[in-house]
Amino acid sequence: MASNAIKSGALVTLPELQPSSEFFKEGASLRVTGKLQEYSVETAIAVIADQGATLKVDTQHLRELSFRIGSIFQFIGELNIQPNYEAILQARTGRNVDGIDLDLYYQSLQQLRQFQAKHMKNATT
Amino acid sequence: MDQQPLSLLHIHVKLLGFSLHSITPWPNNPSIFYLNGKRISRVEILGVVTSRDYKPNKFLRFTLDDGTHSITCILWLNHLTSPFFASRQPATLRVISDLAKCFADDIQFGKVARVRGRVSSYRGDLQVTVSDVVIERDPDAETLHRLDCISLGRRCYFG
Repeated sequence: MASNAIKSGALVTLPELQPSSEFFKEGASLRVTGKLQEYSVETAIAVIADQGATLKVDTQHLRELSFRIGSIFQFIGELNIQPNYEAILQARTGRNVDGIDLDLYYQSLQQLRQFQAKHMKNATT
Repeated sequence: MDQQPLSLLHIHVKLLGFSLHSITPWPNNPSIFYLNGKRISRVEILGVVTSRDYKPNKFLRFTLDDGTHSITCILWLNHLTSPFFASRQPATLRVISDLAKCFADDIQFGKVARVRGRVSSYRGDLQVTVSDVVIERDPDAETLHRLDCISLGRRCYFG
């Protein structure tokens, strides 16, 4: 699949989205998961939280999604970094993932990165 | 007795997007591809529907994002009009056509879909020609598929 206009959202956790992180780049396509802490109907901005970190998500382009404080949501979108280094995700998809086993999810991300690293290493040798 | 080498040619190989991206075509047959030296033709993938291009009675082209790569999928909807299917029994074609339409209705933007199909190439880009779709509502479905793909990759495909 040499060319694809729709970029894949890299799986990241909110604590990983620090300014020093490789994922913290303008326009980076990401997939984030977190508990809904705040939601503004006027601005369509949601704030999700996970493991002590928070992220603003612009949900203006999302349809048919009910926002309930305390529910866990997953969004795919592009990162927009403001001049004050505050990041906001411009979401293009979102879904309620209440009931997700977050411990298993985090473990699967760890396993995935190890697997990808080994696979990439084998591909270049 | 010597063990026969594992054949993946006639099963739906569970793959992550980035692994699917690594396969190479087999020169003798455009429907067969190499995955780490093993021939494959069918895959099972799972991800979020991130694009949807619907042409009624022709096709539905959509992309699945599993967090490692975006995968283009094509679901044909032209069973009743295309000469490609002309040799099949009309009653069978009607069933296949109705099923494909149900799949097309199910595949909506933002949904998580498990797709089985044949790997194919279109204008140099890989795509999956869809034969089966299940919409996954379990929030752990993607996690479990990811772990399955990693486990199978380590033990069977790349081991």
